[in-house]
Amino acid sequence: MTKKILKSMMLVSVTVLALGLAFVMGILYRYFGEQIGEELKNEAAFLRYGVEQQGMDYLENTSLKKNRITYIDSDGTVLFDSEADADSMENHAHREEVLEAVSTGSGQAVRMSRTLLEKTIYYAVRLADGKILRVSSTQYSVFALMLELVQPVFCILGLLVLLSGIMSYRLSAKIVEPLNELDLEHPEENDVYAEIGPLLSKMHRQNVTISQQLKEARQQQEKFALVAGNMKEGLLLIDSSAHILSGNTGAARLFRVSDIPCGSSVYLLNRSEEFRKMITEVLQGGHREVVLAIGEMQVQAVANPVMEAGQTAGAVLLFLNVTEKMERETLRREFSANVSHELKTPLTSISGYAELIRDGFVRQEDVQGFAERIYREAQRLIQLVEDTIRLSRLDEGSTSMELEETDLYDLTKEIFSGLTQKAEEKHVRLYVESGRMKIHTIPSVMGEILYNLCDNAIKYNREGGSVSVWFADSEEGLRIGVRDTGIGIPVEEQNRIFERFYRVDKSHSSEVGGTGLGLSIVKHGMELLNGEIRLESEVDKGTEVILEWKK
Amino acid sequence: MATHFEKQLEELHVQMITMGSLCEKVISLSVQAVLQKNEKVVSQVFETDHEIDKKEREIENLCMSLLLHYHPVAGDLRQISAALKMVSDMERIGDQAADIADLSVFIDRKAVMIPQAIADMAEQAVKMVTDSVDAFVKADLGLCRKVIADDDIVDDAFNEVKEGLARAIYGGSLDAKTGLDLLMTAKYFERIGDHAVNIAEWVEYSITGHHGGELS
Repeated sequence: MTKKILKSMMLVSVTVLALGLAFVMGILYRYFGEQIGEELKNEAAFLRYGVEQQGMDYLENTSLKKNRITYIDSDGTVLFDSEADADSMENHAHREEVLEAVSTGSGQAVRMSRTLLEKTIYYAVRLADGKILRVSSTQYSVFALMLELVQPVFCILGLLVLLSGIMSYRLSAKIVEPLNELDLEHPEENDVYAEIGPLLSKMHRQNVTISQQLKEARQQQEKFALVAGNMKEGLLLIDSSAHILSGNTGAARLFRVSDIPCGSSVYLLNRSEEFRKMITEVLQGGHREVVLAIGEMQVQAVANPVMEAGQTAGAVLLFLNVTEKMERETLRREFSANVSHELKTPLTSISGYAELIRDGFVRQEDVQGFAERIYREAQRLIQLVEDTIRLSRLDEGSTSMELEETDLYDLTKEIFSGLTQKAEEKHVRLYVESGRMKIHTIPSVMGEILYNLCDNAIKYNREGGSVSVWFADSEEGLRIGVRDTGIGIPVEEQNRIFERFYRVDKSHSSEVGGTGLGLSIVKHGMELLNGEIRLESEVDKGTEVILEWKK
Repeated sequence: MATHFEKQLEELHVQMITMGSLCEKVISLSVQAVLQKNEKVVSQVFETDHEIDKKEREIENLCMSLLLHYHPVAGDLRQISAALKMVSDMERIGDQAADIADLSVFIDRKAVMIPQAIADMAEQAVKMVTDSVDAFVKADLGLCRKVIADDDIVDDAFNEVKEGLARAIYGGSLDAKTGLDLLMTAKYFERIGDHAVNIAEWVEYSITGHHGGELS
């Protein structure tokens, strides 16, 4: 803008200067021409008087020699010339000024020299005797004048242009200055040219609109970030060239990065084949679901394309950690397979024995033995169903049993009395090592836990072994232990024995009896009582199960 | 708005990630082939190796086109030249994995147990390849140096395997032919470790401008 103003100002001042100079020179030139004409006229009048009085002698003696004086006879012969030899001069009768003077009494003419550099002004008067007196003056023409003046004129012109340049620069800077110093953040508070007032107020309105829209956009974004941030699931948005647009902390957690690298390729997070295939397909507009293995985790990924005008503009990816879910699913599958197996075994036996009896393959005296076997298998079935019911009750946590003050010694003794027969069969002795101790617990659940632990301790004991129960209440917390001198549990099996129907020695389970649900009941019971189970076991030496409630 | 050059560079990065992922796949498949004889796995190794070779050509062409069309300088040039070097190491990893799978067919698993040392070594090699690709993807200098340092573990493990096999052959508990096959397998894993180190060194070069070998 400054440049533009400067340019225009310079153009104007240079034009004005040049035109001014030209006009002044033209006017002055004309003025001087007229002056010279007047002067010649006066001189001619003066000379005329002298010549008429004294004749040609006057001309020869006159002091007025500044201008050329020519004295011409009435026939045109030159009689006298102040600057040339009169005799050698041609006849002047046909000269313009002479002709005019002859006819009107006086005549004037202007003639340019051949080079146009000089201009001669002639003035002629007719004397009383009919002779002509002519005065002429030569002056420089405009061109000559201009040629002569070129140097000074251009010097002055240059100086003036320089001066006007400096002034124009200053001025234009001054004009533009307030514009440069405009406060665009607060357009309405500026006090500058009235002409840009409407522009500023428009700006102000737009500023307000923009800041409002920005605020709304930010709120929207914050809302989204809040929603996405609080999601446990991972969420990723990618564009059509598989660059990450946005991602939540859940996604960062699942992919084990500290931050989602927005703007980078999504393959930075995972480069497995399944993932790459999923991204390629979803960006072609397909819906995909895959399970990815990220480290130890199983992550289910759901990918949906985002369509815009019939084209894929990007995709939304959702990630769920399904590790536990898949593990549980495996367990459930195993459980139902086990349940059906456990139910089928006694039923097959019952059905087999019954069939034999029906078809008369059993002698009368053996029927009782068979009936006994049928009875035992049926008992086992009942036990199994009862255990399953109890387990599902514990699973649901619906047991609305209340905490009661219970004496552990009494409870253990009661359990022992129920197990005496079993213990005697295996010659296993039962001990309570500690004295009386009262605790707050749910007696039925506690009893269930202890019963199952002691039952196992007898079942998996050796002939003539022992089972002892102890309890202690120290500063660390309450602990109850059930120790046996049995076959022990191998280290690699110790994690699995609390699973439903899990048997360490699968081949001999029917000899030992039991449903395979005992320890599962213990585990769920302890969950209900908010306790922990620890296992210390050595093969062929024995097992100790410790129930612990930390303080 | 990204220029065409930047887009192509990004494409190169993605292609490199893909090739790295293929390398990880092929080597873990080859480990599987060694540990449990499986015809299907062996043929998968060969397929993946083929895929890796194809990817190498693609990446080379992309690099050449980038170099010829844009005359990149400084960091961009380093990235492209490092990529050119890395693909050849990655391609070698693919070849070696194919060699391992090839050998695995001849090992009679009923007669011999695969020594635990080889399994450990294979696991370490897989980890090194994964780490070096990770280092490239995340431009992680620390991980580069870790991979370079980890090479010693694989080298030591190889020596251990070698001595173990020599003892077994000498003692007569292992027939010499199988022993040599196992030795070759171990050697290939050791070479894969070396290639992982090369990759890590080139990653380091593309980040810092210094090649790993120069610094020491």
